[in-house]
Amino acid sequence: MACLHDHSCEEHDCSSDWSLYKHIDLTKVSALNEATTGSVKSVFKAWEQRLNSSGDFLESNEGDPELLVFIPFTSDVKIKGISIVGGADGTSPSKMRAFINRDGIDFSDAQSMQAVQEWELVENIQGVLEYQTRYSKFQSVANITLHFPENFGGDTTQIHYIGFKGEATQLKRDVVATIVYELTPNPSDHKTKAEGGGGLSHVGK
Amino acid sequence: MVLEATMICIDNSEWMRNGDYSPSRFQALADAVNLICGAKTQSNPENTVGVLTMAGKGVRVLVTPTSDLGKILACMHGLEVGGEMNLAAGIQVAQLALKHRQNKKQQQRIIVFAGSPVKHEKKLLEMIGRKLKKNSVALDIVNFGEDDEGKTEKLEALLAAVNNNETSHIVNVPPGPNALSDVLISTPIFTGDGEGGSGFAAAAAAAAAGGVSGFDFGVDPNLDPELALALRVSMEEERARQEAAAKKAAEEASKQEKGGEQSSSQDATMTERAGVATSDADNKTTDLTDDENALLQQALAMSMDDPATNNDVRDTDMSEAAAEDPELALALQLSVQDGTKDSAGQSDMSKLLADQSFVSSILASLPGVDPNDPSVKDLLASMQSQSEPQKKNDDKGPNEDEKQ
Repeated sequence: MACLHDHSCEEHDCSSDWSLYKHIDLTKVSALNEATTGSVKSVFKAWEQRLNSSGDFLESNEGDPELLVFIPFTSDVKIKGISIVGGADGTSPSKMRAFINRDGIDFSDAQSMQAVQEWELVENIQGVLEYQTRYSKFQSVANITLHFPENFGGDTTQIHYIGFKGEATQLKRDVVATIVYELTPNPSDHKTKAEGGGGLSHVGK
Repeated sequence: MVLEATMICIDNSEWMRNGDYSPSRFQALADAVNLICGAKTQSNPENTVGVLTMAGKGVRVLVTPTSDLGKILACMHGLEVGGEMNLAAGIQVAQLALKHRQNKKQQQRIIVFAGSPVKHEKKLLEMIGRKLKKNSVALDIVNFGEDDEGKTEKLEALLAAVNNNETSHIVNVPPGPNALSDVLISTPIFTGDGEGGSGFAAAAAAAAAGGVSGFDFGVDPNLDPELALALRVSMEEERARQEAAAKKAAEEASKQEKGGEQSSSQDATMTERAGVATSDADNKTTDLTDDENALLQQALAMSMDDPATNNDVRDTDMSEAAAEDPELALALQLSVQDGTKDSAGQSDMSKLLADQSFVSSILASLPGVDPNDPSVKDLLASMQSQSEPQKKNDDKGPNEDEKQ
């Protein structure tokens, strides 16, 4: 499911395609099994900086290559493609599984649940590989959880960049913020037909 | 104030009958658990705490993570001691209970009280620790009670496997005169990873340390409200007694300028002192009436040994205030004296009223009243006649002199 960029990047600006990183809610991004808490936030950056990991990247704990990354968006997005830049020497992830709109997944959940889509990854040091999604399933994504169960034999798994290609809608999947509940009914709020003109509608005014 | 869901794993095995911690290991443990639950729920109202037992017939969850302190305390009541502790199963069940917490935003933490020997292998414990670390669950271990060879080593290995960025801790509590809870108060288990912790923990730590505390008399009102109240009341009575004595001395020197302005300036000094005192003191004094307010402020300020305010100034203000309000001073005086002295108190009161100079100074302070006004003098005379006979003779002399 991988495809290469078969055009030179001067013709069109690749960075605008990979601009979904702007819609990621970075404060709520979290990862499980990361060696340094908070290092996961450094992998979401602009396309041009995907190879520029100035020291900060996501690494798993020693001897355990599994990683789980939870990425919420600020509004619902449609994801067309995902790009992953891993580390060298076998520390790149070899498999990726995605779950959509599920909160609080941990490793046992991830291993037992059916993923929305799975990919076999290849080592992608230059960051030119893009993995396409089954677009119909990725239509209104409020958050996505990426599970990397294995790598290419390294002691840890390193991820330097995660990019999303697609478009953002303006819809938000927030919970209802303010609801006013009535403790006692207020008659003025509930005009019955009898009060409102005896069954006649107000259409022909 | 980190948002946290905590599971406390209690060791209720046979080893907990031992009395090397007073009154028994299990009692000390129960006290410590109560304290921890209180601290956690107070530091953040959305924190939840759950409890499970590791021994007995098997690992049993007594209460799932809840923020209802009453439920937690109730389930601690009536626990039975027996069986053997299963540490590995206990930690795994705790992890499962945390996984199914209602609010997924809470950080996960397990607190283990290990009082009996650990029969698991070090490898198994390390594996469990790694699994906890992978799922970002923090672990606090309280190592007390039985100390057979290898137990401390195994628990340290478990901690090393779990520890991620110093979020997990181990505390070794040797048997001794100090209660388990007191020792735990000063540890990171209570103070929450050195973030400054909750007010509860900090204050309790200060109280336990016996040093300068943020509370009135070195006693945390949350921990021991009756004692704190008793100390405060006795301090007030002492203040009142000293005030009455000071007032008598100041009475002679009371000037006529002290009038309505004094009361307003007194309010100003009151609020000024309130600003100096800690916020805890503020919360307490706002509940009191103005009469008690003045005394308590002084008591608080004195107990806090605040160098910013001038002790002498305060005392003078106090005596002026007391002089300003003779009934208050007398009422306080009466309250501290015996009932047998009531009659003496009564005569004191009438003595004051009969005291011409004092009454005239009061009258002068009232706006719109001229002591030289004949109607006022008539009133004074009538007041004098109501006083006790022996006093009347003494006072009528100077009174009539003045009238003329």
